[in-house]
Amino acid sequence: MIQTGIVAPDASRVKAAPILRLDAISKTFGTVAAVKSLSLSISRHEVVGLIGENGAGKSTLLKMLTGVHLPDQGRMELNGRAVAFRGPLDATAQGVGIVHQEQSLFTNLSVAENIVMGAVRAGSQAVRGGIYRWSTVRREASEVLARIGSDIPPDTPVSDLSFAERQMVEIARTIHLACQSAAAQGGAPLVILDEPTSVLEKAETEVLEAEIARLREIGSVIFVSHRLEEVLRICDRIVVMRHGELVADRPVAGVTEADLYRLMIGKDRHARIRDVAPAVTSRPVLSASGLGRPGHFRDVDLDLHAGRITAVVGTFGAGREALVRSLFGVEGHDRGRMILDGKPVTDWTPRKAIAAGLAYLPAERGVESAVGGLSAARNLTLVPHEAPWWLSPARRKALAGAWFERLDIRPRLPELPLERFSGGNQQKVVLAKWLARNPRVLLLDHPLRGLDPGAGAAVNACIRAACAEGAAVLLLADTLEEALDLGHEIVVMRDGGISARFDTATDDPTTLDLLEKMV
Amino acid sequence: MTTLTGTGGATTKRGAATKWRGGLAEVVILLGLVAVFSILNPTHFPTLTNLATILNTASIPVILGVGASAVVLTGRIDLSVEGVMGAAGMTFVLLSANSRETADIGWLAWPAALAVGAALGALTGAIHVLAKVPSFIVSLGIWYVGLGIAAVLFGYEMIPFLTNESAVAWPTATLAGIPNSFLLALCVAALGVLIERMTRLGRAAYAIGNNEAVARMTGIPVSTFVVILFAFAGACSGLAGVVGSLALGAGAANVGVGMLFLTLAAIVIGGTPLGGGRGGTLRTVTGVLILSTLYNGLILAGVDPSIQSGVSGLVLVAAVVAAGWSQRERLRVFK
Repeated sequence: MIQTGIVAPDASRVKAAPILRLDAISKTFGTVAAVKSLSLSISRHEVVGLIGENGAGKSTLLKMLTGVHLPDQGRMELNGRAVAFRGPLDATAQGVGIVHQEQSLFTNLSVAENIVMGAVRAGSQAVRGGIYRWSTVRREASEVLARIGSDIPPDTPVSDLSFAERQMVEIARTIHLACQSAAAQGGAPLVILDEPTSVLEKAETEVLEAEIARLREIGSVIFVSHRLEEVLRICDRIVVMRHGELVADRPVAGVTEADLYRLMIGKDRHARIRDVAPAVTSRPVLSASGLGRPGHFRDVDLDLHAGRITAVVGTFGAGREALVRSLFGVEGHDRGRMILDGKPVTDWTPRKAIAAGLAYLPAERGVESAVGGLSAARNLTLVPHEAPWWLSPARRKALAGAWFERLDIRPRLPELPLERFSGGNQQKVVLAKWLARNPRVLLLDHPLRGLDPGAGAAVNACIRAACAEGAAVLLLADTLEEALDLGHEIVVMRDGGISARFDTATDDPTTLDLLEKMV
Repeated sequence: MTTLTGTGGATTKRGAATKWRGGLAEVVILLGLVAVFSILNPTHFPTLTNLATILNTASIPVILGVGASAVVLTGRIDLSVEGVMGAAGMTFVLLSANSRETADIGWLAWPAALAVGAALGALTGAIHVLAKVPSFIVSLGIWYVGLGIAAVLFGYEMIPFLTNESAVAWPTATLAGIPNSFLLALCVAALGVLIERMTRLGRAAYAIGNNEAVARMTGIPVSTFVVILFAFAGACSGLAGVVGSLALGAGAANVGVGMLFLTLAAIVIGGTPLGGGRGGTLRTVTGVLILSTLYNGLILAGVDPSIQSGVSGLVLVAAVVAAGWSQRERLRVFK
């Protein structure tokens, strides 16, 4: 066990002094008030859920808590002392830890080194006088890993881990550091988990929940998630932000998902309407027969029809992502063939795929689809349009303006660099880039990853509209509910092969039916 | 974690495969070269005398390579080696017993030359991190600053020859068949390995090379460490300048001519990518040995010296292509 230096909680004393107390803090960027006079108090042994739409001010609040921004006004107290963080490192040293959505591990180093690297400043024994003690490095890391119930060998290079495994290492590292720093400061740790579950599978989410329960014993947790049922299950108390203000702060008892949704959005979630599945046309636009790539997927038969959404579900590593990337020509396939409009295709590359009317929305928005430094308008017109060589500035402006209206992209400033938009709006711009070409096939790899429910609903509406206009859609959904909600056909993959197919109109499968075929 | 056990097995296999590739391929190439040249020239190539010759030519690039690869690990580059060698070498000669009789401070000339090198390296690093300008252009400038210092020290008088005969003979004298210069290079390499594996500085170099933003957020003093690594590289260049001057037996500003190409080529051929984060000293030593063996073998095989530089250029390009071959995905960005 890790020595946290924290004695068994003394409930009466602890209640009196909260770990974190925010008194009317505000932050304004230019003319935009991101956080308006927000007050919040978090006690020791409390897990607080923080929810809100994209752009509600959650990230600004988190950035103030972790020392990235200083509040313009107001007072911040940590463990009973007023603090003004000099920077993220200072916040870490005071016992505030954050697990980001983006991973921040050194992929070339071992798991053990990654865990210990940051803890060196917080009094880890693994490095003394600038010299590494490798046996101590390994021991400390094994202890930390064991604590979160992970069986990842500490000597594994991070580059060999799966995305979800890396996330577990990231969480282990942050918790370790926060506990050590807080112990050194004589306070209790505050760990912020910023959408940690969006990339985790169910089993790992359970491990994480157990760890949150253990963290509750020694400190506090702020849990940010877009999965409302998860927030309700994990947290003791829920704080809702809207337009930079705190609109609700209540214990979870008696609160429903619908309540939270209403608080976040300010209106009710409209009932799910399954649109009538169009009949299968005689010939699929794109089909795969016996498609395979060793180590990724095999014997995949798939028909994508105009006007139909095919959702592919499966666990992490079932080969869904590799399949989509092969269909778009990003990665090759070794077996089987692809047929486009009845003709087999050869030497498939993204360039040919785009020319043939395919569109691909990658999961890694920041890396593969959004060019942050370019303006939104330029991002929107990155893929050649009807005028292949030259797009006049006026034409680009008109095109961008039209799509900004159509998909309700905010703020309505197409000339702003894309990185200044919120995640949901960035995703809409990327989607608009493809929709502007009236694609015949839309390949969507986790289109809702990292989006809040409001933005997700808007993106889903765009997908439905594109489908209604005749696009064949292949969807890799984040959740089974999303797949069931959108898909006309559901294809289940397991270990690289297709294990089941459902027609949602006639079979009406449940999440349980899908899960059964997934594992 | 149950869903991950399948990939877990594959993970270990993949890890082992990468480990196997970690340096062994380069060693195989080296042994292959030795075998080929031994067959081509059985009377002259595989002899102890020739081994001493190869190791002696390898010693200066090894010393340079240790420092240069420490810098390359962070994703930076030090192009100043030739100039720093000139400045440090000239300092050494003028502070030792020489024909110009400037000054003779005995063995202290060694640390003095190293200090000149370290200072120039630290200057490169400091300008790079303070002005936030690319290290390749700063070090390119410092290269010529070093040459300038050497030229000023050289002045307009006659060439300063080293007068201590035993000192001049020291690098090529052998101990158990291995020249002293190479033994010195091995000591430097051992120091490099120790820094890389056992110190916070060395581990941080790998971390910085992998992801500098994360390194800063983890509390690694990136700027300080980068300056220290550049100073270390400068000190290595200084030492190389001393060894080079001893080999020449005289002071010359251009003592390091041709060494930059050799050093960088050895780093890349050894398998340390210029992007940083992977590789290290031992790989660079292997790279130097490959190149030295190749040069030596080509000479003994009677290949015209004038086409040697062309051959070594081709070897460098081939090595880079081979190193990147496994990663040539369709959408990988390279620039």
